[in-house]
Amino acid sequence: MNGYSGKILHIDLNKHKTWVETKPEKWYQTYIGGVSMASRLAWENIEPGCDSLAPGNVTCLAGGLFAGTPVPVGGKYGMASKSPLTGFIGDSLSGSWLAVSFKRAGWDGIVVHGASDEWVRIFIDDDKVSFHDASHLLGLTSTETEEAIRDEYGDDQVRTACIGPAGENLVRVANVSNDGRKAGRTGQGAVWGSKKLKALSIRGTGGISVADPETLLKLSYDILQAAQGPHTQKYRILGTTANMLNMNRLGLLPTRNYQAGVFEDAELVSGEYLHEHYKAKTIACAQCPIACEQVGQVKEGSFAPAMGHIEYESLYALSSNCGVGDMEASIKAIANCNELGLDTMSTGVTISWAMECYQKGVFTEEDFKCEKYPEGFEAEFGNGEAMVTLTEMIAHREGYMGDLLAEGTKRASAKVDEERDTETYKWAMNIKGLETPGYDARSLKTFAVGLAAGVRGGCHNRSAAYDPDIKGWVDRFSVDETRGELAKSTEEYAAVYDTLPLCKFIRRCFTGKADREGAWPAIAKLINATTGWEFEYDDVDLIGERAHTIKKAFNIREGWTREDDHLPWRWQHEPMEGGPSAGYVVTDEELEYLKDIYYKAKGWTKEGLIPEEKLIELGMEDVAEEIGV
Amino acid sequence: MRVQVEFLGVSRLATGLKEVALNLEKGTTFRDIVHMLATRYPKLIGDVVQPNGETLQVPNILNLNAKRMIQENQMDEGPSDGDRIILMSMSAGG
Repeated sequence: MNGYSGKILHIDLNKHKTWVETKPEKWYQTYIGGVSMASRLAWENIEPGCDSLAPGNVTCLAGGLFAGTPVPVGGKYGMASKSPLTGFIGDSLSGSWLAVSFKRAGWDGIVVHGASDEWVRIFIDDDKVSFHDASHLLGLTSTETEEAIRDEYGDDQVRTACIGPAGENLVRVANVSNDGRKAGRTGQGAVWGSKKLKALSIRGTGGISVADPETLLKLSYDILQAAQGPHTQKYRILGTTANMLNMNRLGLLPTRNYQAGVFEDAELVSGEYLHEHYKAKTIACAQCPIACEQVGQVKEGSFAPAMGHIEYESLYALSSNCGVGDMEASIKAIANCNELGLDTMSTGVTISWAMECYQKGVFTEEDFKCEKYPEGFEAEFGNGEAMVTLTEMIAHREGYMGDLLAEGTKRASAKVDEERDTETYKWAMNIKGLETPGYDARSLKTFAVGLAAGVRGGCHNRSAAYDPDIKGWVDRFSVDETRGELAKSTEEYAAVYDTLPLCKFIRRCFTGKADREGAWPAIAKLINATTGWEFEYDDVDLIGERAHTIKKAFNIREGWTREDDHLPWRWQHEPMEGGPSAGYVVTDEELEYLKDIYYKAKGWTKEGLIPEEKLIELGMEDVAEEIGV
Repeated sequence: MRVQVEFLGVSRLATGLKEVALNLEKGTTFRDIVHMLATRYPKLIGDVVQPNGETLQVPNILNLNAKRMIQENQMDEGPSDGDRIILMSMSAGG
C-alpha cells in the first residue's frame, strides 16, 4: 500500500507492552488520516462510558497522508481521546516535525492504552518501542522537556510530543506540545497526565513510498509556487492576528467575557501593533512554505523576556476578552500557556469568567490568594498582571482559584453555583464544556448552529460556518432555510482538510478560490499520486462527511442528546452591547429551527440521531450496528 | 460626496495610514474607489489589489459601514455620502 505502512502501533502503559495491528486498505480509504483516523481509533479502542481521566480512555495519534512527502503543509497529525472537558470526542490537530518522524518511523497510527504506575516517557525508534522513567522531567515546561529528551539522545531527529505542568496536574484545559505546536482544545494534556505519560518521542529514519513520485513532485511544486503569492501573503505578514481589528470593527470581538463586541483598546492588542512593536520573527511548521506563525517578544519591563506564538484565537482570549489592552501582558500570558501546556483559548475564556465573577461580587480578593499574592488580588477586567498570574495558578492548580479554574468554565461555574447559590453559568462561555472561540455568534446566525452542533464543542476550527456569515454570502443577522445546509457544508469542508490533514491556509492555492470546485480535483490528484487510488471529486467530499460522522457516532455512544447542541446562556438571553452587532441574540426559536434544518441537511433524524442506512451508505457498517437508528 | 476609507491589516501596512477621506463624484462605484486607492497608493498593488489596478486580491474585501461586505458582483454599485468603507483582509483560524 503506497502512502501508508498498513500498521497501527498499540502501546499498553499498564504492562509496558506493545502490539501491532494491521488494517485493510478499505479502512484507510474510509478514514484516511488526521482527525478522522484518530477518531476512528478512539471509537475502536475507548471503553464506552469510561471516565475520561481513567485508564479506560486511550490517546490515539494518526499520521497525515502527506506527512514526510513533498506536499506543502501536509506535515500534520491528528490526536483523539475522550475529552475531559466535554465527555465527548476530543480531537486535535498538530503539525511540524513530529508528524514527519511519525510517518518515517513506519506507523500510520499509535494508540496508547491504560495508565502507568509511575511517570513514564515512551521512545519509538523506528520499529522499536522503549519505556523510560520520566520522574526527572516532571515540572519542566514543554520546551524544556523536548530539549532535555533531545539532549539525552544527542540527535535532533528525535522529535517529542509532551505535556507541561498543566497536563501533569490534570488541568482539563491542558494541551500536548510538539515542536512549538500544540494539539490543543478538549484537554488532551490532561488525558496524558492521567496516564502518567510525560512525553512520547519518535525517531523515524525510513522512507515513505508513494505511487507516482514524479506527478506528486510536479503537483507539489505548483502548490508551492502558489503558496508564495498573494493568496497567503496576509498570513506571512500579520498572521491570523489581523483578525483583531477586523472582528472589532464588525462588532464581533469578544470583549470582557463576551459582554461586548467592540473593545476600546483593540488597537493596542492588534496584529498591526504586534507587528510594529513586538514581532520577533515569523516561523513555519515542517513542510510549510507559508510561515504564518507570528512570534512576539517583550523586550523590557516586568514581562520581559517573554516570547509567545501569537495567533488571533490566543490573542482575543488573553486580551480583549479579559479587558486587557496591554500587548506585553498578552504576550506573557500566551507564553505562559505555551510553556506550561495550557490551551490559550479555554484558559483565557475561563479567566474572563472569573473576572466577571469578581466584577459581579461573586468572588472577592481573598478567593485569589496564591504564593505570589498571599492576600489575594483584584481580578478586575483590564488587570493584565492578574490575567498573567492566573495562567500560572491554573497550570499548577494553585490556591482555591487555580484549582477551580483548572476545571474549565462548565465545571467551575457548576461548583460555584452550588456552593454559593449563584447563577454564574449564565456567563460560563462554553458549548458542551469547550470554551467558545473568538467570534461572538449572536450576530452570526449560521455559525451559531455550526457551533451549537459542533461535535467537539465550541470550536471555530471544526465548523467553518462563520465564513458565509462574515464574508457576507448571507445576511449574518438573520436566519433562513439555507443555513442548515451551509453549516453542514462548511463543517464537512473543514473536515476534509483536518483529515488529510492539510493546513487550511493552503486552500486558495489550488485555483485562487477557497471552494470545493477548485480544491477537490487538485486534492484528488494528490491523493492518487500518493496512494495509487482513483479518487474523484465525490470521494474527496465524502472524506469530510465520514470524518464528521465517526465523531458524531462517538458522541451518540457516549449518551449525546439533542439538548447537548446548545449555545451559552448569554448568547441566547443577553443582547450584544454596542457596535454594529448591538441588540442581537440567538433566540430559542431560532436555535431550535436551525438545529432542525441542520439535522435534516445531514440526513439525520429530528432528534439528531443517524439512520442505519446513512451509516451503511458511508461505508460504516459496524458503526451502524452500534448506534444507527 | 465624501466617504471615509479605513485601512485594516495588510492595506494599512501598505499605505501607512489608518484611514483617508475621499471626495467622490456622484455615481462613483466601489470598483472606481479601488482604482483610486491603487493609483494613490501603488504599494497596494500586489498583495491587496490585482495588477489590473481595480480588482481586489482575494481575500481582501470592502465592507460598508461595518454591516455589509461588498461582493465581487456588487463592485459596480457605489457608496452614499457619509459612508465608511473598510478595506480588510479576512483570515480564518488561529
